[in-house]
This record gives sequence, C-alpha cells and structure tokens, in this order.
Amino acid sequence: MKNNLKVQRAIHNLTQQDLAERVNVSRQTINALEAGKYVPSTVLALKLAKLFEKTVDDIFELEATD
Amino acid sequence: MKTSYLFPHRLKTISGILFVLSFIMFVSFYAFDQYGHFEYKAKVFAIIGNDGFLGDNDFFGWIENSILDEILATFVIVSGIVFAFAKEKYEDEMVQSIRLHSLAWATIANYGILLLCYLFVYGLPFLNVLMGAMFSHLLIFIVLFRYKMYRFNTTRQDEE
Repeated sequence: MKNNLKVQRAIHNLTQQDLAERVNVSRQTINALEAGKYVPSTVLALKLAKLFEKTVDDIFELEATD
Repeated sequence: MKTSYLFPHRLKTISGILFVLSFIMFVSFYAFDQYGHFEYKAKVFAIIGNDGFLGDNDFFGWIENSILDEILATFVIVSGIVFAFAKEKYEDEMVQSIRLHSLAWATIANYGILLLCYLFVYGLPFLNVLMGAMFSHLLIFIVLFRYKMYRFNTTRQDEE
C-alpha cells in the first residue's frame, strides 16, 4: 500500500512528532508509515484522513501487489 | 483501540529488574547448588508429591521439601509474565503488531529448539531440556520483543 503522508504533512506544515501526537501514536509509527513499512489499521487511516480533511483514498492507495 | 490484557506500564521497570535478578539466581541455583547448600525445608501441600526420587507418590498430602527453587520459580514466572506483557510507554497499534510478531516467532523458535533437543538429547540430560523448556518460551519472547522495540525506538527520523 502506498501513501502520500509525507506530502500531506508538508502541506500542513507538521513534523512527524506533531502528527503522531494528533493521532495518538508514536513518532516511530508515523516514520514507519511514511517509509511504507507498516500498514495502518482502518481506525488510524480514518483518523489521518480526518486530520488532513481528505478521504482515505486521497492519502492511501493500493499497489499491484496488494 | 484499547487493549485490556496488558499490565500497566508503571510495573515494567520493577518487574524487569526482578525478572533479571531472579532469573540469574534461578540459573545459578541449578548450575552451582548441586549438593543442597542453600536448603530451606518446609512443609508444603502437594497435589502429587514424592519425598525422594523413587518411592510411592502421595496424593493431596503434606510433604517436606526444599522450597528455595519454588520461591525463585514463582519470582521468575510472575515477574517475567508482567515484564513481557506490560504496556510500552507509547502503546499504539504498531507496538501491538511488533508484539504479536515477536510472540509468533518466539513460539516457532522455541518449539524448533525443543524438537531438536527432543530428537538429539537422550537419557538423564533430557531432564535439563525439560527444565529449560519451562522458561525458554518466555525468555525468547522477552529477548526478541525487547530487541525489536529497541530497533523500533532507535529508528532515525528521516526528515522533518
């Protein structure tokens, strides 16, 4: 699964730490998400989408291998 | 998401210290105290008991036994379980996934080692394997999980 969290974060001018605090996860989790090493739960994906005022589809995208 | 089966984070440090101390004492007790220098005999209630190595079993009776190893084993198991399943400082879904991953690998590794020991260790030394098997799963899980958490916590911040 691909995501453009890094871009969204840049648009909203947030650090990884800021974003982590807003959605109640650790900074490392955001880091792993951005690196594509971790697929978030539906709850976390929805929280992130809500924070960035986008739909989940705008942030997360399926890859051919999924 | 809330997980309710984990112990509070404040118990983690104290149980970790207790686990390491009692584990070292337990191992050295079995490694060095072959002749019973540190015996503390007491009457204990036994569901199945046997005073010597051979002889008849007593059922649901009181028997005399050196209880130092029982005390140590209680400390190792209780502190080990609490330490292994205490909440992390920042408990989130990724920590849960790391915990599950470690638990799965610890189980596979533990039974892999046990199978090898079962196939290649015979006779009285096999008693040592059984002894180790009581704690190996917990120990492997703790080592694996702590290592993975260490790696997780020290990941560098790519960019701000």
